[in-house]
Amino acid sequence: MICDKCGERPAAVIVKKNQNGQVFERHLCHVCAAENHSLNIAFEQDPLAIHQLLSNWFPNHQASVSPVKKEETVCDTCGFSFNKFLNLGKFGCANCYDTFSPQLDEVFKRLHNGNTEHRGKIPASYGSTLKIRKEIEELRKQMQTAIEEERFEEAARLRDEVKELNTQLEGGASDGN
Amino acid sequence: MAIDRFLQHKASSWMTNTGENTDIAMSTRIRLARNLNDFRFPYAFSEDEALKVDKAISSVLLDQGSDVNQNFTHIDIQNIPQLQREVLVEKHLISPNLARGQHPGSVLLSENEELSIMINEEDHLRIQSLQSGFHLQEAYQAANQLDSLLEKHLSYAFHEKYGYMTSCPTNTGTGMRASVMLHLPALTMSHQITRIIPAISRIGMVVRGIYGEGSEALGNVYQVSNQLTLGKSEYDILRELQNITEQIIEQERRARDILLSNSPMMLEDRIYRSLGILTYSRLLSTEEAAKCLSDVRLGIDLKMIEDIDMSILNELMIFMQPAFLQQYSQKPLQPNERDFARAKLFRERLKEEKANSEGEDFR
Repeated sequence: MICDKCGERPAAVIVKKNQNGQVFERHLCHVCAAENHSLNIAFEQDPLAIHQLLSNWFPNHQASVSPVKKEETVCDTCGFSFNKFLNLGKFGCANCYDTFSPQLDEVFKRLHNGNTEHRGKIPASYGSTLKIRKEIEELRKQMQTAIEEERFEEAARLRDEVKELNTQLEGGASDGN
Repeated sequence: MAIDRFLQHKASSWMTNTGENTDIAMSTRIRLARNLNDFRFPYAFSEDEALKVDKAISSVLLDQGSDVNQNFTHIDIQNIPQLQREVLVEKHLISPNLARGQHPGSVLLSENEELSIMINEEDHLRIQSLQSGFHLQEAYQAANQLDSLLEKHLSYAFHEKYGYMTSCPTNTGTGMRASVMLHLPALTMSHQITRIIPAISRIGMVVRGIYGEGSEALGNVYQVSNQLTLGKSEYDILRELQNITEQIIEQERRARDILLSNSPMMLEDRIYRSLGILTYSRLLSTEEAAKCLSDVRLGIDLKMIEDIDMSILNELMIFMQPAFLQQYSQKPLQPNERDFARAKLFRERLKEEKANSEGEDFR
C-alpha cells in the first residue's frame, strides 16, 4: 500500500483518529507519520512533563511499593504526601510548601537553574516588613562584595543604608501586617 | 447572551498588528498565576471550595463600586456548551484545561479581549494579558496593574522564600509566563530554527511551535517564553525575553534577505502558488491552509503581495480552526466538511480583501 499523504512511499504506519465517534484511518509512510500532526494549541501545556522529571530525579521516593515508610510526610491541609506531589507534579495547597520544605530546595534547584528564592514582586499585603528584610539581605551581600573588592567608601555607604533600614524595621514599619 | 460577542467571527484587537516588528512578532502574552490563602489548590480542593473561590474572585472583579471593575463579562464554564468552550480556546482566551470544566470555574473577559481572568484553572486565579505585536512591557503593565488591584481585596498565597505559591512547581516564584508569538518562515525554510531552539533552551527560555505537535510548527508560528519563574525578578525575565526575541527577529530578517537575494523567483513562485490555492481551492486541510497562509503573509511582508492586509495570518490561523468553522456554519461538521468550510472561508475572506483594496483605488 502507498502512503495516503505523499502518495510516493510505501505505507508503514496506520494512524487512527477518533472524531465525534467516527474513526478515521490513514495509512502513512514513515516520513509522513513523523510529520503527522493536527491543529492543537499547546497554549498552556507544561514545557516538560514535570511529574516524569520529578519522579526520575527522586527515584528513592518512588519505592512506595514496599510497606509504608515510617516517615512519609503528609500535608495535613490537603492530604498530599511527598510521593503524591512527585507523581502528580503538583502541590495540593499552600501548606504543602512548608510541609515538604526540606526537599523543596532540591526540586526548585532542578527546575529553576539552581534558584531557590523568589526575587520578584511582593504583594503589598505582606507588608513593608518583608520587603525591607529582603532589601537588607541584598544590601549586606553587596556590602560584602564591596569589602572584598576593597571599595570601602561604597561599603560604608551600604552599611549606613542597612542601619537606616534596620531602624525602620524596629520603628513603626508594622503597617500592612 | 453576553458571551455572543466573544464567539463572533471578528478580529480582536490583539489580532491586528500595530507598531514595530509586527511583520514578525504577531502577539505578546503575559500570564500571572495566583492562589488564595484559606483554600486548597485546584488539584486538591472540593467542589464547595471551588464555588467559594469562584465567588470570591469574580465578585471583586464584577463589583461596580470597586476600583477593579473594567466591565468584565463573566462566563461560567460549566454553563456553556462544549463548542463554545472550544471557540474560546481557539481564540486563546481560555486554556484547554479550563475548557474541560472538571470543577466549577469561569473566565472573565474584558471588552477588548485583551484581559482574560481564568478562575479555577490549574491555579485559583490566572490573569492573562494579550497584546498585538511585540509589547512585553505594555502587556505586563496591564496584568500587573490588575494583579495589584486584586491583591487589595484578596489574600494571596505568598511564601516569604518561594514567592507566589502555585500548583505547579514550574510556576512558583513570580508565577509569570511571558511569551511572544513569532512568524518565522525564513528560519524554518533554511532549517536554522533547529539550531536556534536548543541554544535558547540553555538560557532558560523555550521556543516551540504553538500550533500542532511534532517537529515542524504549523504555519511557521512559534512561541518564545521564559521557563524560569524563581530566582529572577519580573523585570529581569522580561528584559531577557525582550533581548532574545529581538535577536531571533534579527536572524529571521537576515534569513529573509538571503532567501530574497539567492532565489527570488523561486520564492515569488511559492508565494503566488500559495495565494492561488487559498483563493481558488474547494477543499483545504488545516496543514495546507497553514502552510499557504504563512507563504502569503511572507509575501505581504516582502511587498510582493500588496492588496492584502497583514493581519490576515493572525486572524485566519484562529478562524480556520474546527470549533470556529462549526460555530460559523452553525452546525457540527465532519472533517471533510470542515475542509470545504475552510476553503470557503478563505475564498470569501480574500475576495473581501480584494474588494476593499479596489474600492480604495477608485476614491
